[in-house]
Amino acid sequence: MIAFGSPITAPEVYERFAQPGIEAVAEPGSAVFAYRATSSIFRSYNLILDRAASCDDLEALALVHQDTEIVDPDFCAKVRRVLRDPDVGVIGCIGAIGVRSIAWWEGSVTWASFIHRYGELGGGDLPGFAWKRDEAPPFARTGEVDVVDGFLLVLSPWVVRNLRFDESLGRLHGYDVDFCLQVRAAGRKVVTADLRAIHNHSLELVGDPEGWTEAHIRLARKWDGRMPRVGVAGGDWEERARRAEAEAEAARAAAVSKQLQYDAREREFRRILDETTGSVGWRITEPLRRANHWRRRARAALRRRG
Amino acid sequence: MIVFASSITDADAYSRFAEPGIRRAAEPDSEVLANAAAGSIFRSYNLIMDSVAERDDLEALVLLHQDAELASPDFCSTVRAALRDPEVGVVGCVGAVGVRSIAWWEGSVTWASFTHRYTELGGGELPALSWKTDELPAFAHTGEVDAVDGFVLALSPWTVRNVRFDESLGQLHGYDFDFCLQVRAAGRKVVTADFRVVHHHSLELVSNPETWIAAHMRVADKWDGRMPGVNAAGGEWRQRARRAEAEAALARTQAVAAMLQADARTVQLERQLAEVTGSTSWRATAPLRKIGALRKARRAR
Repeated sequence: MIAFGSPITAPEVYERFAQPGIEAVAEPGSAVFAYRATSSIFRSYNLILDRAASCDDLEALALVHQDTEIVDPDFCAKVRRVLRDPDVGVIGCIGAIGVRSIAWWEGSVTWASFIHRYGELGGGDLPGFAWKRDEAPPFARTGEVDVVDGFLLVLSPWVVRNLRFDESLGRLHGYDVDFCLQVRAAGRKVVTADLRAIHNHSLELVGDPEGWTEAHIRLARKWDGRMPRVGVAGGDWEERARRAEAEAEAARAAAVSKQLQYDAREREFRRILDETTGSVGWRITEPLRRANHWRRRARAALRRRG
Repeated sequence: MIVFASSITDADAYSRFAEPGIRRAAEPDSEVLANAAAGSIFRSYNLIMDSVAERDDLEALVLLHQDAELASPDFCSTVRAALRDPEVGVVGCVGAVGVRSIAWWEGSVTWASFTHRYTELGGGELPALSWKTDELPAFAHTGEVDAVDGFVLALSPWTVRNVRFDESLGQLHGYDFDFCLQVRAAGRKVVTADFRVVHHHSLELVSNPETWIAAHMRVADKWDGRMPGVNAAGGEWRQRARRAEAEAALARTQAVAAMLQADARTVQLERQLAEVTGSTSWRATAPLRKIGALRKARRAR
């Protein structure tokens, strides 16, 4: 039996995204562990793991963020196929190699079969590079990685019964990276598979910078010397500090620079739009557009009445 | 006599920006040195300083970037007023306190009477905090600072004769911050004054991050333990490294987030524009616009 689990902080979000996805791919005997979130994602996931661990017929547990919609009719078949390798502990739909910190995306991403769907600014889609199969870049491949993103994690029964999220690390950030490291430290594999999902997420990537920074430090401390490459950088601590302090300031300056460019681009667009809508032609045809608007509304009302 | 000097890599930029500004600000007896750049900015500025250091009548040397346009007609009197204090070694129009590295803008900026004018994306202007004198924030004040930005530096005769830019530091980045530290280490003051400058500059603030980072590290090494506040950070090296590595990764991630948001905003505006230009009324009035454009072109002729 393939089980699904989701900790819920916003029921309406779960009902819009995770729930329809789970219902679409779940099999008749699938268990769904949808619980109200507890104090941290680490603890919430552990609660789900505890429940799933007691299912004797467990084949896999899919942990799904409430804003993640699985859109893959073959989801269960793909999961079973990947878990045929008994060494596989975790499957994700986006992952990277050469990961050194909780910023796993700074490693080399090898697979990303998801869409980042945002609601701000009129909404839109940002497809991961492996979303369109015929346009996948040459480096796109499924298989073993260092870490997968936590918005969709499929765990093997062995993992469900033997590992837990480390609740000492905080409330949210880094839970996925730490868990993947634990799985690998236990001798199991973390892999990507062509599982397809839509992540309905704001364009804000780190909503809580200070919490994220703290989690980065705690995780680096925890894994120092325990996993190849993690927390590694050239030079002694002084050299590393000097370089990283410079890089942080350069990155902040570059971010400001980019922001200025974006603001300028927006101003330019606004100017063109204002020029366009302020033109004589646009203004004299205003009654025409208003009439059209009312005609469309009337037609829609008639259609509704049958 | 106040001397104005520039080190030029782009003669056109100098003619368009620095030169008219100098004309606006200079006095009849002012001397103007327009030199071609000699290697790094450190070396180019040292060459200028060497050539005026022996002048007995020197009141100040104004080093300005080729893209910096002095906008204050009373520039010379403002500089003279600031240099009346014999302890003042450098005067700038933008400066900060609590500066710890070549990223002086990460300190607390106390004065910035300039405007950043760019030409990309239709052009525009970003007035700094004290450009509009009637809209000064509570923390805006001229006076002593840790460092000033190098696009306009007015140096006292003492500074011209006794301090040099450190050519060992690289080609460009950090020359101003290091120079201000040298001046302060020699017991002189670095101050801001209310002269106004238009900085004609692209929106790209750090065009070559790798050389910027290298300069940051070199300057940090040079001043380690020699100037209070510089390079200061909490914790021992290991803790500093961990925190800075986290902050660097965070800053890069936030830059990506900003890019995604900006792209989304652009898509939204493009959609709005397409709705307008794709509408029936817009298409129906196309001949009208064509006539209007022709009329405008004829009028321009």
